[in-house]
Amino acid sequence: MATLNLNAINKSFGSAKVLHDISLAIEDKEFVVFVGPSGCGKSTLLRIIAGLEESTSGSIHIGDEDVSDAAPVDRGISMVFQSYALYPHLSVYENIAFPLRVQKMPKDELEERVQRAAGILQLTEKLDLKPGQLSGGQRQRVAIGRSIVRNPKVFLFDEPLSNLDAALRGDMRVELSQLHSQLDATMVYVTHDQVEAMTMADRIVVLNGGKVEQFGSPMELYHHPATKFVAGFIGQPNMNFVPATVLETSGALTVELDGGHKMSLPVDTSGVRKGDTVEVGIRPEHVTLSDEGLDITVNVLERLGGISITYGTIGNGTRFCASLSGDAPIQQGKNMRLSVAPEDCHVFQSNGNVLRRKSAPALVA
Amino acid sequence: MMDRYTKLQLVGIYAALAVFLTFILLPFFEMFMASLRPLEHLFRSPYQFWSDDFSLQAYKDMWVTVPLLGRYIFNSIFIATSVTVITMVFVVPAAYAYARLDFPFKNISLGIFLGVNMFTGAVLLIPLYRVLRTMGLLNTYWAMIVPGVAFLIPTGIWLLRSYLEKIPRELEEAAFVDGASRMYTLRRVVLPLAVPGLIVVSVAVFIGAYAQQFLFAITFNQTRELQPLPAGLFEFIGYQSVTWNEMMAAALVGVLPVMLIFLFLQKYLVAGLTAGAVKE
Repeated sequence: MATLNLNAINKSFGSAKVLHDISLAIEDKEFVVFVGPSGCGKSTLLRIIAGLEESTSGSIHIGDEDVSDAAPVDRGISMVFQSYALYPHLSVYENIAFPLRVQKMPKDELEERVQRAAGILQLTEKLDLKPGQLSGGQRQRVAIGRSIVRNPKVFLFDEPLSNLDAALRGDMRVELSQLHSQLDATMVYVTHDQVEAMTMADRIVVLNGGKVEQFGSPMELYHHPATKFVAGFIGQPNMNFVPATVLETSGALTVELDGGHKMSLPVDTSGVRKGDTVEVGIRPEHVTLSDEGLDITVNVLERLGGISITYGTIGNGTRFCASLSGDAPIQQGKNMRLSVAPEDCHVFQSNGNVLRRKSAPALVA
Repeated sequence: MMDRYTKLQLVGIYAALAVFLTFILLPFFEMFMASLRPLEHLFRSPYQFWSDDFSLQAYKDMWVTVPLLGRYIFNSIFIATSVTVITMVFVVPAAYAYARLDFPFKNISLGIFLGVNMFTGAVLLIPLYRVLRTMGLLNTYWAMIVPGVAFLIPTGIWLLRSYLEKIPRELEEAAFVDGASRMYTLRRVVLPLAVPGLIVVSVAVFIGAYAQQFLFAITFNQTRELQPLPAGLFEFIGYQSVTWNEMMAAALVGVLPVMLIFLFLQKYLVAGLTAGAVKE
């Protein structure tokens, strides 16, 4: 059992408060991704879990044990660093064996463990080489190998793929997902890349300004973002936010979008009044060309083959991005008209909070 | 291209280099020339730059004139080596602490070390003499080793600290996460990576120890058998005459080890002294 519970973690560096009351309950064998923009505190939070940084207040439990004051090695965690942190003067074998050497493990058991880790990570051929002779992806695997030989309860990854090129990153993502199912361990993974978060996570923690914005499954975050920040962070290209004025609140929410288009949206209207200003969130992939709807001026058109991405403006210069079919009959510099289904729209109050959608797609686990 | 010069600039650069090198190397050259001549030719007038009676006779005679010469050379190397080893024993943990740990008065104490560096040993000779006398160390090897170590520790700490700071912190954090203690990390991770830095600091300390031993030897030591070479060279100054040619020969033989070390290790020296100057 390796659940990971954080209770009201606070962290300040001097007068700067970087983490505010973070409480999370991470299940056994779960793959949880911390995602957020740089400076949101995600790496600091991971380092606090690792025991490399001390929290100002709050407690950490791994399994049933309070490890808030324990040394990293006694917490049963292992960590993979962004720079890999391989020892350049030691061979791949010795790098992987390092944690076991520290424990003074008997030779034959050590040999067996290193060979098993090398086998899992396809490094058996490379054991005699020095890290400097390996490619980026192989170095990454050595770093992972060093973290798995100790059979830790919780794996921590600090942006492990950000030093790799795009193609290799895609491959390593798949490998890490496989490794997770192979090892059956709890994993906490930090990244600023929402694609990594969406593809690998069982659940995602979105952090912003040292606070948890939302903690949920990838599809939950996609379909039911709790705040404007989460809505804007998850999804590629980013969600569009169109300013709108509330016209009617009985039953559905009727709004007039910037540009004059009126829509009736099936959301919970409690807390909003006639005349309020709200923002309507529309995902680029949820719009279609039609005769009725939003008038957009297309400023930039990117044809990627399968899809076409357009960047334009709506109403009084609100930026609007749309993802259309690859051969959509549109031209740069011309106008187009787009429609969006009312149930695909999100509505955010001026404080950033969402109005609950009444007819959202069923959750995909 | 930043380093492209016109012909005129090149001529200027080489001219300046020539002047500089002349100043540095002329004494060595003159030492060598003097060591090759018979004594009486040294005082010939007019001065003759080239003579036809060059010989290596002085290199043989010097061992007879000063029978303890071999012992002096050994003492020099022994004292400098001891100073280097003992200094490194103190400097390595201290430099690591200054590079990585946080403790009260860290910056102030580092500043004090730098301040101590500004004094030459000469200013402190009298108090040092009293200290060494109280401890009963006068006229022993320790009289030359202890002050040597004391004066070289600050330099060593400053040099090595900047080198250790260059080793990525994540390597140590990784070791810490894997359960390694500070000492284990220092031994298995930090020091192996710091070898070039350690070489630089050792060489700098050795050269420093070799150069400063003269002062401590003539003030704190009266025992002939313990004198290092620079002090021993005085024995070439006799009541009747000074055998300059033999003294020059002995001095050259004496600086030879230092010169050899410099030649072999100069690439580390250059790399190490500039380490940490730019972010890589």
